[in-house]
Amino acid sequence: MSRSDDPLVGTGFRDRSRAQLGQPFLRQAIPRATDHTIAALHDRFADVDVAALRERGRRIRAETIRDLDAHLETLVAAFERNGITVHRAADAEAARGRIRSICSAAGARRVVKVKSMATEEIRLNPALAADGLEVVETDLGEYVVHLDDDRPSHIIAPIIHKTRQEVRQSLSRVAGRELPDDTAELTGFARGQLRDAFLSADVGISGANFGVAESGTVVLLTNEGNGRMCTSLPRVHIALMGIERVLPTLDDLAVMLPLLAGSGTGQLLTSYVSMISGPRREGEPDGPEEMHVVLLDNGRRALLGGPFEEALHCIRCGACQNVCPVYRQVGGHAYGWVYGGPIGAVLTPLFRGFDDGGELPQASTLCGACDDICPVKIPLHDLLLKLRRVGGGRAATRRERAAATFWAFLWSSGVGYRASIAVGRLGLTLARVLPARLRRGPVLARWAAGRGLPGRGGRP
Amino acid sequence: MTRLSGVSPAELRPGEDAIERFERELGAVQATFARSTPETLARRIVEALREVGARHVGLTADLGGGRRALVEALRAADIEAVHYEAAAPSRDALRAMDATVTGCVAAVAATGSIITGERAGRAGALIAPTHLCVVERERLLDGLSQALRVIAGSGSSMLALQSGPSRTADIEKTLIMGMHGPKAAHVVLLDGRLDEA
Ligand code: SF4
Repeated sequence: MSRSDDPLVGTGFRDRSRAQLGQPFLRQAIPRATDHTIAALHDRFADVDVAALRERGRRIRAETIRDLDAHLETLVAAFERNGITVHRAADAEAARGRIRSICSAAGARRVVKVKSMATEEIRLNPALAADGLEVVETDLGEYVVHLDDDRPSHIIAPIIHKTRQEVRQSLSRVAGRELPDDTAELTGFARGQLRDAFLSADVGISGANFGVAESGTVVLLTNEGNGRMCTSLPRVHIALMGIERVLPTLDDLAVMLPLLAGSGTGQLLTSYVSMISGPRREGEPDGPEEMHVVLLDNGRRALLGGPFEEALHCIRCGACQNVCPVYRQVGGHAYGWVYGGPIGAVLTPLFRGFDDGGELPQASTLCGACDDICPVKIPLHDLLLKLRRVGGGRAATRRERAAATFWAFLWSSGVGYRASIAVGRLGLTLARVLPARLRRGPVLARWAAGRGLPGRGGRP
Repeated sequence: MTRLSGVSPAELRPGEDAIERFERELGAVQATFARSTPETLARRIVEALREVGARHVGLTADLGGGRRALVEALRAADIEAVHYEAAAPSRDALRAMDATVTGCVAAVAATGSIITGERAGRAGALIAPTHLCVVERERLLDGLSQALRVIAGSGSSMLALQSGPSRTADIEKTLIMGMHGPKAAHVVLLDGRLDEA
């Protein structure tokens, strides 16, 4: 993607953060929502050897990425055996081009979408809209984001930054009348709207949580069920899959599904797991006539074999955001691009370049909470440190220097007092930030596999 | 016992009873659980559908030999019963369904999940506000890794693993059921086979 057609929002992390910090709801909503997820996570994993499970997860991701091309080759062959048309896209523009031409060949007018960070990454919706297509996001949160011409602010919970009142206003605009101030009613209204969309769309577009090489299967996870609706009812299904999302076997999937669901939402499994191995076959009652997978590189392959390869292990569960003291204060929009929190601070400079994202690795206290929660044990804070070094060497721009004093800014802004108690360390101690029950509980210690909580050694 | 037992929460623990765990996990994901014999199955299903006031019910082909008896019982109870695959081509017929009844390829005790295949329709389990799934006893498997290994060899074009009804918590973390798929998910464990029903 050329940089100019998708600039990072705002003028830098500091300015964006200032805007976010001015929203009282946001500063309560994120800790409340994320604490809830973290607590559920620890309940679900209370009586198993979760350290062993995470280690398996790490090993699966590391071994797969180390040999990515071989696994991709197997995956592509299996997809094609299953009647799936495979497209390879080197960058965002190529991916958009592919998807646009599939839609136009299908004579599509209306497209339904499943929430997908990859389609956000390539800014697909504006491109489809420019072609005259009606694009409907079908995840409730993403639907509201789209109505408001906003951006998602969390990998898993896209409208974590919005109040019910704001959602009510957006949906009332669609309804042409004042909808009641009631979550069930609002949800019911959206259900009706979106059901019409599912039943009348020509094309369904999804991401892919995983692509299983042994069986040629696209795996798609949603709690709402919109993933299944989008990929079952329209005539054509297009899945946009980052090349790093490959898993060699279904056995690997048995490890990754509970890791992802647990870390993402505190569930044992996501409510709906669709395992799609091709379009509808002769004699089957429903399903798309055509299925396409677009494999997206967009900067991923360049990381192979280098110091940042581990960034490709990420399964986009969002847990590192939930525990990050910086994210919890400023929210996802402050990061300026699609991925926020620690993994966003790693991916943005790597995918978008240091001119755009070079300041983001500074937006971390290096407290290590993200390392301890990551289900596949990505050493996020090592990656952030390495990025600081690389970024610093490239260009210590004015913006980066400004970002380096972010913590000073937080202090002086008054709101920072609660957040920024840097006790003789590089930044916060996690113990100040996490809810009390997690600090105490033996479960988190087990999750963290003996690393212990940063700051637990007697510091407040 | 599966290879991830004791490591993954999606597996049974050593010595754990599969049916007990299945029932508990279904409760945890807000699905209902009932047991039935082949003799009582039709009556149970009619009762459950009456309770939710279902008028137009789709039954999928994976109910196999049991489907005919179920269709008859529903019609006798004045509930319109259609074959899902016959209705699926019509968007209006799909829209009109207020419940679907499916079988399953497998069920997973440790996670309270059912797995439907293409014969249940890709959308069969979630097109209507109520979904009722019949799980034959022999299809209930211990854990996720076993279930995935069993279905790995099935050559299915689509397998759908689902745990409880459709849900969202996007608005201020308030949990709401039935966002897109069913608001209510019922599971009937059948002590026997569907073609005996
Ligand atoms: S880096 Fe780890 S914790 Fe963060 S989103 Fe990726 S997998 Fe989850």
